[in-house]
Amino acid sequence: MTASSLASPGDTAGAPESRRQRRKRERLEEQAAAIPVHLYGLRRGTVTVITVACVLFAIFTLIPVVWIVINSTKSQTGIFTSFAFWFSRPFQFFHNFALLFQNVDGNGTYFQWFGNTVLYAALGGGGATALAGFAGYGFARFRFRGSKAYFYVIVGALLVPIAAITLPLYLVYAKAHLINSIWGMILPSLVSPVGVYLMRTYVDLSVPRELIDAARIDGAGEARIFFRVALPLMVPGLMTVLLLSVVAVWNNYFLPLIIFSKNTLYPLTVGIGVWSQVAERSGGNSDLYPLVVMGGLVTIVPMIALFLVLQRYWRGGMLLGSIAN
Amino acid sequence: MSAVSMEALTKVYATGVKALDVLDLQVAHGEFAVLVGPSGCGKTTALRMVAGLEDITSGTLRLGGRVVNGVSPRQRDVAMVFQNYALYPHLTVARNIGFSLENKKIPRAERDERVRAAASVLGLADLLGRKPGQLSGGQRQRVAMGRAIVREPAVFLMDEPLSNLDAKLRVQMRAEILRVHRRVGATTLYVTHDQTEAMTMGDRVAVLRSGRLEQYGTPRDLYDAPASLFVASFIGSPAMNLYEAALEGAADQCVVVLGSQRLTLAPAGAERSGLGAYRGRKVIVGIRPEHFAAPGIEPAAGASLTVDVRLVEPLGNEQLVHFTIDAAQAREDPAEGTDPVAEGEIMAATAANGVAVTGPRVPVRAGSRVTFGVDLEQLYFFDPDTREAIETGR
Repeated sequence: MTASSLASPGDTAGAPESRRQRRKRERLEEQAAAIPVHLYGLRRGTVTVITVACVLFAIFTLIPVVWIVINSTKSQTGIFTSFAFWFSRPFQFFHNFALLFQNVDGNGTYFQWFGNTVLYAALGGGGATALAGFAGYGFARFRFRGSKAYFYVIVGALLVPIAAITLPLYLVYAKAHLINSIWGMILPSLVSPVGVYLMRTYVDLSVPRELIDAARIDGAGEARIFFRVALPLMVPGLMTVLLLSVVAVWNNYFLPLIIFSKNTLYPLTVGIGVWSQVAERSGGNSDLYPLVVMGGLVTIVPMIALFLVLQRYWRGGMLLGSIAN
Repeated sequence: MSAVSMEALTKVYATGVKALDVLDLQVAHGEFAVLVGPSGCGKTTALRMVAGLEDITSGTLRLGGRVVNGVSPRQRDVAMVFQNYALYPHLTVARNIGFSLENKKIPRAERDERVRAAASVLGLADLLGRKPGQLSGGQRQRVAMGRAIVREPAVFLMDEPLSNLDAKLRVQMRAEILRVHRRVGATTLYVTHDQTEAMTMGDRVAVLRSGRLEQYGTPRDLYDAPASLFVASFIGSPAMNLYEAALEGAADQCVVVLGSQRLTLAPAGAERSGLGAYRGRKVIVGIRPEHFAAPGIEPAAGASLTVDVRLVEPLGNEQLVHFTIDAAQAREDPAEGTDPVAEGEIMAATAANGVAVTGPRVPVRAGSRVTFGVDLEQLYFFDPDTREAIETGR
């Protein structure tokens, strides 16, 4: 028997399919793999009750988002006088949006805060993801003295609420000259215990030991094994950690509040908070409320966009074909 | 100088489990050596030690005469095919095969050339652009082979490479691997739990059990002259029938007492061999299923066994006759025998199971009692205490 006859079309997997075809196939396969609800053994009434409860909870979580979208179109008076969950004249959405990026209060602008937030989130979240990737791989695939102890110390940090360490953190910062420094914001964001834990579990499940063994025998060094073999398989996990840690930095309010006293260093959370306080103190005379609402809306949009961009990584099949089961 | 030389190789895990117990094994250049044994016998551990993926507790490992105990896998010049292939799922077939060459910083042109050459040997030339996920099981297996042969390593290591394939493909890939082996000519160490694979593929076969080497020889040797009860029961399919028996007889005569039946050995043969010394003692007698003669042909006196047929399995070209016989079954595993309850059961057992292979049209029916002729020249004898073979001068 010749070699070419062994590779006959009989045992090939068919021609490569397009991305769209693959997505459609995967969606259909997912549907086919799910057990139909009527086979769960639940009574019809139970299903209805659960569905209603879920819908109610969804409404409950969506109400603030709906409110902020509707009220971003209103003027200051509109916000206070019209029905909160419906639009009113004048329609000021674009006016509010334009106003947001002008220097309305004279000592720091939304644009500056937005830039700060992007910087903190990119460096802090990105750095946390990179470190979680390294650490997760190390904990999952290497045995070294004290590896378990280190891991438990890091995961143990999950149990400590951030508020509890704020005061000591502030004192340390004061000594280390990190007050009013961007590093004061970025450094603590670099370690994500959840990220390390997630990545360790993810590597355990998605980077088979055999693959690393094979690469070692193929003559790859450890760094090369990490970057060329393990890292591509860790991407979906890393994207999860990236999203979680970027969102964590993006939404962080407490830490920047205590370490920044300069308006130009504020992230969006603190900046909008300051506007909100000013608006309250002025008793509705400052015209800042539409900006607080619009500022809040613009703040959440990048996170929704990030989620939509990253969600395509949450699909199975990365390991397909590597390991026979 | 051997290509692979294991000298008193021992592996004790941190848990205290002894996976490999003073293994001595030499593989000559260009030889296809098979390590075979039941699961947990240490064969994969031995292979991983040669690869450098497990460290060596004690003993010496030489590759091509060089001691490599502390040498990292990438400096050993070995290639390995893993049981589950371990292909890089995000790389194309071409990059999978060429990965080791990339690591050695071999120029792109030469790399492509060698990848293409390896791929054509394995019939993968049309699949170089595919990812592993788009390949069938047999194709993935060949990619794993390609990754090994492209390197032209001193030693090939294969860890049950066929166990994930279906039966038909396995037979096909068996021939394929041998073809590639002959073409490349590299020393190969092949691990399997399947005795058929071991017998059909190995130049020499090492039978391992509980981390110890039971026998190392050609497939013919293992089959014709198993050194121990374990090898006798492990090699051959269906397995050898093994019964406890007593050896009797005076002067130049030797009679095997099997339950209520007797087999009379040729006088000269018994004296020539070491069997004479066992006269008056218990032995374990082994009869291969194919050494029963079809019933109906009048057997010589003292050269037949009467059995009760329980089940007949027609295979087309032959048939397997499962029977019970009035005798005590011998267990290949002494651990089972040391259990007093089990011991009692064996002694109390009045019937033992057995298999005979007959021609396809021999009229034997389940539930009937038949008398098989027995080829007395082909009997195997084992010491019931040492479990080792008794020399019969066959």
